[in-house]
Amino acid sequence: MTGPGTQSQSKLVRWIDYRLPIFTFMRHELNEYPTPRNLNYWWNFGSLAGIMLVIMMVTGIFLAMQYTPNVSDAFDSVERIMRDVNFGWLLRYLHMNGASFFFIVVYVHLFRGLYYGSYKEPRELLWMLGVIILLLMMATAFMGYVLPWGQMSFWAATVITNLFSALPVVGPKVVGWLWGGFAVGNPTLNRFYSLHYLLPFLIVGVVGLHLIALHQHGSNNPLGIDRKGPQDSIPFHPYYTVKDMFGLGVFLIAYAVVVFYFPNLLGDTQNYVPANPLQTPPEIVPEWYFLPYYAILRSVPDILFIPAKLAGVLCLFGAIGVLFFLPWLDTSRVRSARFRPVFKWVFWLLVIDVVALGVCGAHRPEGLYIIVGRLATLYYFIHFIVLFPVIGWLERPLPLPTSISAAVTKTSSGPLAAASSVEKR
Amino acid sequence: MADAAQSKPMDAHIHESGTRRDFLQIAATVVGGIGAAIAVWPLIDSMNAAKDTLAAGAPLDIDLSHLQPGQQIVVLWRSRPIFIVNRTPAELKTLQESQVTGLLRDSQSEANQQPDYAKNWHRSIKPEFAVLVGICTHLGCIPEFKPAPGGDLGAAWPGGYFCPCHGSRYDLAGRVFAGVPAPYNLPVPPYNFISDSVIRIGENPAGSAFNLNSIEQL
Amino acid sequence: MRAAIFAGFALLALAAPAGAQEAAPLPRQSWSFDGPFGTYDRAAAQRGFQVYEAVCSHCHSMHLLHYRDLAGIGYNEDEIKAVAASKQVTDGPNDQGEMFQRPGRPADAFVAPFANEQAARAALNGALPPDLSLIIKARDGGASYVDALLQGYKEPPAGMKMAENMQYDEYFTGRQIAMPPPLAGNDVQYADGTKPTLTQEAHDVATFLAWASEPTMEERKYTGAKVLIFLLVMTGVLYGAKRQIWADLH
Repeated sequence: MTGPGTQSQSKLVRWIDYRLPIFTFMRHELNEYPTPRNLNYWWNFGSLAGIMLVIMMVTGIFLAMQYTPNVSDAFDSVERIMRDVNFGWLLRYLHMNGASFFFIVVYVHLFRGLYYGSYKEPRELLWMLGVIILLLMMATAFMGYVLPWGQMSFWAATVITNLFSALPVVGPKVVGWLWGGFAVGNPTLNRFYSLHYLLPFLIVGVVGLHLIALHQHGSNNPLGIDRKGPQDSIPFHPYYTVKDMFGLGVFLIAYAVVVFYFPNLLGDTQNYVPANPLQTPPEIVPEWYFLPYYAILRSVPDILFIPAKLAGVLCLFGAIGVLFFLPWLDTSRVRSARFRPVFKWVFWLLVIDVVALGVCGAHRPEGLYIIVGRLATLYYFIHFIVLFPVIGWLERPLPLPTSISAAVTKTSSGPLAAASSVEKR
Repeated sequence: MADAAQSKPMDAHIHESGTRRDFLQIAATVVGGIGAAIAVWPLIDSMNAAKDTLAAGAPLDIDLSHLQPGQQIVVLWRSRPIFIVNRTPAELKTLQESQVTGLLRDSQSEANQQPDYAKNWHRSIKPEFAVLVGICTHLGCIPEFKPAPGGDLGAAWPGGYFCPCHGSRYDLAGRVFAGVPAPYNLPVPPYNFISDSVIRIGENPAGSAFNLNSIEQL
Repeated sequence: MRAAIFAGFALLALAAPAGAQEAAPLPRQSWSFDGPFGTYDRAAAQRGFQVYEAVCSHCHSMHLLHYRDLAGIGYNEDEIKAVAASKQVTDGPNDQGEMFQRPGRPADAFVAPFANEQAARAALNGALPPDLSLIIKARDGGASYVDALLQGYKEPPAGMKMAENMQYDEYFTGRQIAMPPPLAGNDVQYADGTKPTLTQEAHDVATFLAWASEPTMEERKYTGAKVLIFLLVMTGVLYGAKRQIWADLH
């Protein structure tokens, strides 16, 4: 029994599909999958994230063929890749800047979700799986940064692993267990290499779940209202496949400009100095995508009976943890910020807040940076824990359009010219 | 899935205003395909030998002034053992005797296992010095140096190499015996005398462009 | 609203701490390798290598460079063999189990002045001269910083207390540096006849060190141009395809 839509395919396709219905699956999930017709370019970033994951894994696998995870050889093996391995410089710069671009894409994707209410019913699990992907990415990126064994690699590893000593009772034991020794050293490097290779495969698994959850109810859209009928949707292929490919082209241009012409723009010069456990660099700064969290970690003072170090760690994890609860913290029944005038305003405040946190994270915690950092941290939590529910209750949303197609035809210049005949298969 | 029933695609995939659309789509696919192929090449090329690996395979100079007649030294060149033997006049005479050459599979070195300048009865530039790749042409073990005639290899043993893995035998010019598992003579690598007593392994004398990759089999 | 944002960022900028004796801001410099079409000036890099050999190599190692790499700044095979052969390289162990010295080969790494960190410190009042293989990428300001530093030695200003064995250099962090001024002008006789003023030597050695930090830069920029042209074409075609496919929906 062949699956739907395979009659016009070749015998080979039908033979395979009968035994392993990948072609039927592809047809259903790509060609027939109904997607809202009004998605804007902010919806490109999900597929961009998937492509960045593939680029990171492919460049990573080829780098792993040449890298040596031992403290005496790691730094030099990376330089050997840069100088002696054919196209080694390209693999390294693609992987190094790919991490930054992966985070850029994922942060935009996340903020898109915040703005348009993509985390709201029925997409709560979809959102939470996304937060898990973010956490796995952060762990992978952190461990990956340690591998070149430069000054920042070593000292970032020292600072972040030391955080766990804040845990009451078991703290120091946990840290020693993480290190595999008395300090960050060869055992630490080797286990980070092993886990850095492993975690991306876990990410692939969670991305799979993320896509299954997405396909249950389909994509959200800029209006935030559900699709009501076939007039509201278009097949994913060819409309969004070609739009995604075009968006990919634009993205790759930006990526290529950085990789080929400004490859060290987002990095730290200190990481070109081999790790020296006896010399702390003048400033220990994480990569830019961790800066807001770093600022939160350092802003928190002693709170009641909780020492500042532990409070900072709790707020650091809390900053990501609070994201899990957004579907329930937001009490509004309207999804998209387009129809939520107060929420829209406050969304931009959050963006400014996160940027301010990032700036604070890049500087020593002195003077004005402490004050701004603390205020920004406070605002971050207030935004989600207080403003989300309160605005939901008190806000008067703008009237929603009746349907997606109604909104689209109102804004388009000509009459709806779409031919709605189903392609004969 | 709630949406399956209403998935009547509003699908404009009709080839009416066809040709320009088709051209663009074909062009897009072709350009994309070229891009993908170009992107794959650096990945594959990165697995080729890196510059430091190639540099480590550069020619190697060996001083033979301390090598006594009858002695062999083994050096590594491009990760392979190279036998260098100072053959005595008696051993050189044995190489030409018919009861020895009669035992061999390829006494005239017809098979392409050596450069032109080693295609002679002593398979070398100077008759006294043999330079051979010390890898048995059967399955790759390193043959043992057994220059003394007779002994536990039998009364007819003229002196040469014996491979302990499967019993292949070679004479002191690396020529393989008939009736043993190994099919070919031991290869001769490119080499050149840069002075009377110093050879450079990995470099041909002027006028020769012999490449070790061109032989029948290592 | 926007004014508030700008004011906020301005305040943040003012909050930058002013350290005692902060290094002077670097003078603006333009380099042959700046910009998307930049290349390493071969002549300058070769002169810089001469300066490194004559002066810097007595204290500073460059262990990531090999003599064969010098082909990248225009030396031919014979010149490289000659340079390598003029050095003594430790090799071994020999058949007696001992390490021995032999003339260098192109495949060898640049010979280091000291066997290890402790030997360097013992010879230099406890100071460790950093390896120079990556120095341009490892310092903010890159080649401009190194160039300025080499010319930045001055008498310390009145009232400034110098620590023991330290020199005053206005571009070094904290303005006190353990390295005595390595160049004064006329430290080498350039093979190509260029006048070896201090400025010229500093410029040349900075160019050489920039090349040493990233020998593949020219290949990178050239490949980038080809990739970007391809991507622009591909994105253009895809844009056309997108517009075509979406045309009947609007």
